[in-house]
Amino acid sequence: MKFRNVSAVVLTVTAALGMAACSGSSSETSSGASAGSSFEFWSFTGIDAKGSAAEYKAKRPDVEIKLTEVGNAQETAQALTTALAGGKVPDLVLIQGDDLPKFVQQPQNFVDLRTLGADKIKGDYLDWVISQPTAKDGSIIGIPTDVGGMAIAYRADLFKKAGLPTDREEVAKLWPTWDAFIETGKKYTAATGKAFVDNAATSVYSQVVNQGEEKYYDPAGNLVYEQSPQVKAAFDQALKAVAAGITAKQSTFTEGWSAAMKKGDFAVIAAPVWMLGSIRDNAPDTKGEWDIATIPGGSGNWGGSFLAIPKGAKNPKAAWEYIAATQSPQGQLDHFAQARSLPATPSVYKDPKLTSAKDEFFSGASIGTIYTDSLLGLKPFLIGPDSTTIGTEFTNALTNVEQGKGDPAKAWDAAVTNIKAAIGG
Amino acid sequence: MTTSISPTKAGLPPAPPVDAARRGFTEIIAPYAYITPFFVIFAVFGLIPLLFTFYVALFDWNPIGEHVFVGLDNFSGLLGDTRFWNAARNTVSIWLLSTVPQLLIALVLAHMLNHVRLRLAVFFRMTMLVPYITSVAATAIVFAQMFDRDYGLLNWLLSLMGFEHIDFNQSVMGSHVLIAVMVTWRWFGYTALLYLASLQAVPRAIYEAAAVDGAGGVRQFLHISLPALRPVIVFTIVTSTIGGLQIFTEPLLINRGTPNICGPIRQCQTLTLFLFEQGFTQFRFGYAAAIGVALFVMVVALAGLNYFLSTRIRPVKG
Repeated sequence: MKFRNVSAVVLTVTAALGMAACSGSSSETSSGASAGSSFEFWSFTGIDAKGSAAEYKAKRPDVEIKLTEVGNAQETAQALTTALAGGKVPDLVLIQGDDLPKFVQQPQNFVDLRTLGADKIKGDYLDWVISQPTAKDGSIIGIPTDVGGMAIAYRADLFKKAGLPTDREEVAKLWPTWDAFIETGKKYTAATGKAFVDNAATSVYSQVVNQGEEKYYDPAGNLVYEQSPQVKAAFDQALKAVAAGITAKQSTFTEGWSAAMKKGDFAVIAAPVWMLGSIRDNAPDTKGEWDIATIPGGSGNWGGSFLAIPKGAKNPKAAWEYIAATQSPQGQLDHFAQARSLPATPSVYKDPKLTSAKDEFFSGASIGTIYTDSLLGLKPFLIGPDSTTIGTEFTNALTNVEQGKGDPAKAWDAAVTNIKAAIGG
Repeated sequence: MTTSISPTKAGLPPAPPVDAARRGFTEIIAPYAYITPFFVIFAVFGLIPLLFTFYVALFDWNPIGEHVFVGLDNFSGLLGDTRFWNAARNTVSIWLLSTVPQLLIALVLAHMLNHVRLRLAVFFRMTMLVPYITSVAATAIVFAQMFDRDYGLLNWLLSLMGFEHIDFNQSVMGSHVLIAVMVTWRWFGYTALLYLASLQAVPRAIYEAAAVDGAGGVRQFLHISLPALRPVIVFTIVTSTIGGLQIFTEPLLINRGTPNICGPIRQCQTLTLFLFEQGFTQFRFGYAAAIGVALFVMVVALAGLNYFLSTRIRPVKG
């Protein structure tokens, strides 16, 4: 008798706690649903999502955007994964190209944007870019926001001191190939005693490997990283750069890398278009000392992001209206003018707004033209679910040779062994 | 034993029989109601996730896709995975490098802080806690900069003295030492205060008597302070073991060129970081859960060993 009473009280207390929790979440749901034109937007840092949202709000004052900058691109994808698994998702989310394949493989988690009108606008985008968010069943789960054209950023003032040409046309002629790039580096290092390029993994390997027609997967989706000539060539090219002693051994985005950039301890960074913002933020005092030249090999793409609407979104319609308005060719062109993100819509590549854009930080280089030129005639490769993991293992093996005590002769085999352990292949 | 009766209770008139049942009931349930919130919260945030981890470990579990039952495959995979053993080795190495100096420093400091003639005692005792209340992330970033290969303060000093720069991050031992220094810095003050609290319970008279008998500071420390601290030393060893096996933030932040693996050859990847990598960059939740279970087993085993040792030690005391 007494025991039953006790358990009843315990149950009541438990139920009360539970109800408190439930009422909390349910009230939030109802308030979200009642505001018909508001939506929740998860983006990552460094791409000026606040600017885009503010622009949109200026045109649509009735819309309320709850913007969260979750973290960097990878952290945002992690948070999205957790949210999808837990069921409490945003209405709109930005996903980086490298993280996209994992989500495209599970398209049931996202709204098929064809149901909202993606079929009508998909022709606006570069075909190899819109193919990335297209799932096997034909559904389109994302709309491209930008692409990652490639170029080389260099310190014209340091080139001058080393007796190298400084004009961007002439500098581009110094390195038609990556071998010529390394030779230029040797001249620079011999003249100044300083490192030429920041590191071999990012600035050589990751560039060369993104210039081929086949990377880690063949067009049918089979893993070919071991046999792909492009991958081996990129790896060997990076080892050559290490052996030449022209690298500063500073991994990209580390404290040492930032410090070395500020001090001018290296003169060259391979700079996909999204890197320009990092250079500007890290070394504001070097304004006007940088310039941009064509990348060895001429073309290539690395990066780009996509906007997607999770299946459980409360207000997919408002999210889609945002996509349609901001990611139209004109919308991407406007955003380029403001935030230097490269449009994925080729129809605006000849627009004067793009071709006449000059960047004072980079000595007035015509960044619009330089970067869109690197995208012309590009035959892109398939990015698969394990592309990021494979790429990371290759760059780690190179970093170990460059900064650790790794044996260059064994680096390739070590990388392949690690890849097999990581992806269970 | 409990002969003392509180005056109020003694002064109360006998309760009317009608209320007796209700009061009895309230008094019986009251303690259960008081402790219920803890158990509910413990169940929701402790027990259920723990049991669920065991369940997830039996699956090939894609958080946003299918969950395929694979039995014990994750565990057999783990036993043959060199990355797992590497992480286990790193964890134990970092734990030893951080715990041993930390406890020794704390012991000596506690003895010094307990000194009668110490001036500004409160000030020194308070400042010991500053590292503990500093954010781990801030600590990690500042230490990583101090130990940087090219631009760090430490290597600058070394080069002033004519030594070569040391690359702490890229070598196995260097990165372990760097993390151990951070962990030690963060915890030594906290541990010292625990010891100090215990030491203050030791009657001054014992120290005075020892001093009269001619025992110096070292002998007092060895023969009075140390025996008095035995139970709390066992406690700090247990807690630092559990904490040491779960070191995460420091290795996550010191090698940011290679996120989640702490260096190109995983030279300082700890078990928790390996778990995080498998779960949140590879999306292999089943495998990550299996790592969690392995970690759980290790912590329980080590805590059990500590408990066993501590019960052995106690009778010898005195």
